[in-house]
Amino acid sequence: MNKKLLLFIVACLVSALVLAACGGSEEESTDATESNSGSSAEETESAEDGTIEVEHAMGTTTLEEKPERVVSLYQGATDTVLEFDVTPVGVVESWVEVPMYDYIKDDLQEVTYVGQETQPNLEEIAALDPDVIFASQIRHEEIYEQLSEIAPTIVNETIYDFKETTNLIGQALGEEEKAETLIADWESRIADFKEKIVSNENWPMSAAVLNYRADHARIYVTGFAGSILQEAGFEEPIELQGQNEEIVMLNDKEAIPQMNADVFFQFMEDTPDVQKNFEEWTAHPLYENLEAVQNDNVFTVDEVAWNMAGGLQAANLMLDDMYEYFELEQ
Amino acid sequence: MKQWTFRLFNDRISIQLSARWLVITGIWLFAVAAVFLLSLSSGSNWIPLTEVFMQITGRIDQHSFVVETLRLPRALMAILVGAALGVAGLILQSLVRNPLASPDIIGITSGASLGAVTFISFGAGVISMQYLPLSAIAGGLLAALLIYLISWNKGVTPIRLVLIGVGLSAMMKACVTFMLVMSETATTTKSYIWLTGSIYAASWSDVTSMIWWLLIPIPFLLVFGRGLNVTELGEDFSVSVGIRVQLQQFIFLMCSVMLAGTAAAYAGGIEFVGLMAPHIARRLVHRSFPGLAVLTALIGAFLVLIADLVARTVFLPLDIPAGVFTAAIGAPFFLYLLFRYRNQ
Repeated sequence: MNKKLLLFIVACLVSALVLAACGGSEEESTDATESNSGSSAEETESAEDGTIEVEHAMGTTTLEEKPERVVSLYQGATDTVLEFDVTPVGVVESWVEVPMYDYIKDDLQEVTYVGQETQPNLEEIAALDPDVIFASQIRHEEIYEQLSEIAPTIVNETIYDFKETTNLIGQALGEEEKAETLIADWESRIADFKEKIVSNENWPMSAAVLNYRADHARIYVTGFAGSILQEAGFEEPIELQGQNEEIVMLNDKEAIPQMNADVFFQFMEDTPDVQKNFEEWTAHPLYENLEAVQNDNVFTVDEVAWNMAGGLQAANLMLDDMYEYFELEQ
Repeated sequence: MKQWTFRLFNDRISIQLSARWLVITGIWLFAVAAVFLLSLSSGSNWIPLTEVFMQITGRIDQHSFVVETLRLPRALMAILVGAALGVAGLILQSLVRNPLASPDIIGITSGASLGAVTFISFGAGVISMQYLPLSAIAGGLLAALLIYLISWNKGVTPIRLVLIGVGLSAMMKACVTFMLVMSETATTTKSYIWLTGSIYAASWSDVTSMIWWLLIPIPFLLVFGRGLNVTELGEDFSVSVGIRVQLQQFIFLMCSVMLAGTAAAYAGGIEFVGLMAPHIARRLVHRSFPGLAVLTALIGAFLVLIADLVARTVFLPLDIPAGVFTAAIGAPFFLYLLFRYRNQ
């Protein structure tokens, strides 16, 4: 009998430990992403013999000469490479509007698709005989060795840090000045936006990026859209300030007050399930009390530019939208 | 029926094989070899078999990357994974005398899944992905030990082992789901692919380290294998002919965990093979464990190999996780066997 009791206690302890580990995770992972954003592109050492050395998330890679044939394995790189006036020879399929997002489809008419971002086809990549491959650690860590055998591979730590993507691509293509210009342009646009948004009677404002799914809703606090909003001077959602959350999942309508912010930017898939869920959430009595709803500051945004693309062009499109929503002159 | 019995090392190892076994195993060996060669030839571009041979023997070098770095380790990995899963299932089914037992059902696979998903959720970007297999094996092993420990009451009876396994498995699956819901989108996607099971990205170092893991259970299976057939007749009978039932049970459980855990570690949660490969083997030959094990290994290898071949060639340029297809290909064949031998 005692033995059984002991076993029961052991089982309880184990499950408690597992649960504790689950709960502790989030803080850890936010810490990780925060420290990541600090470790941005290191200096490139362009040796005198014309080789290019790039330090990136998975080591240092040497390119013998300025690359011409580029393969991009994540959406953010596909978008950003085009900003350097380079047309990649191979890219992975987009998440929606397959095979490629409408806003860059025309620039990529000749491109070869090498499968999906999560499991790109290595044989297809090898057949393209590229000079450089842009990959992401979160997606492609396991195939880094194989990719490196095909061509020098430059790895970004995340998939949404478009500035890091711009820096890495600039270094690898030997176009650092261009990269600097692109980022400087971005920063001056942000500065301009910050200057003009002040005239808005409600400034300073908090903003929430909301995503409705078929069975729940999410608040993206950081990530692509969230970090750009913060850069533009918006505060985190009112209830989530200072909590260092990345994504908040709302599984129950009672949690609606967590969404509270002065402005909502929402996006969702265009399917009946999602629409139905969206209507249920927005019809809930709690929803009426939210600041953004009361002030009529709810904007439905393009999910490609705001969430799925993750490149420099997408960031600029997102900023265009923001100018438009707040009726500011560019 | 013609049968041969081999006795080695003072009767410590005995293996009984029949003529029918020899023929059927020969056929499956041929089938696996054929699909293996087909796997080396097909992909984004078709490489004729003659060129594949010349590449492997080093007479030409133009296909070095595609054949030797991509296709060969991937095909070998599929064979190893399928064989390991099949034999793990065979052992479990004989051990608990229940035809529905398999590593996916009694919690070994979910333990490995929990290990892997935990690693992906908390370790991705912090710890190198090459340690993912270790985390998965540890998860599977811990799960099995826990199941065994909780089932223990002056010995372990198979039925309790299964019930507690099913219970713990449900609990661990809940934890996996919890982690999937809580982690950010990029890691969730990665976890989903792992849970489906994929041979993608197999490298030579994966293949060699997997072989080492798989070598561990083989001597145990050779020595204790003949006892497994006796245990199937019931515990009392086994004791009366001098088998140490508890010891044997523990060793077989651990062997099964080693096999299933290793397979899960390198290929993720491929389901169905562990359940079906032994059933298919049993339909074809009679139940002498060593022979059955070899045939099950071949059938498992065949299933995973062909699933991966379909996954990476039919939807080009897409490369789809093989786990999507193992059941789709294996189930119709199994139903056919059931129908064909329905009167036996």
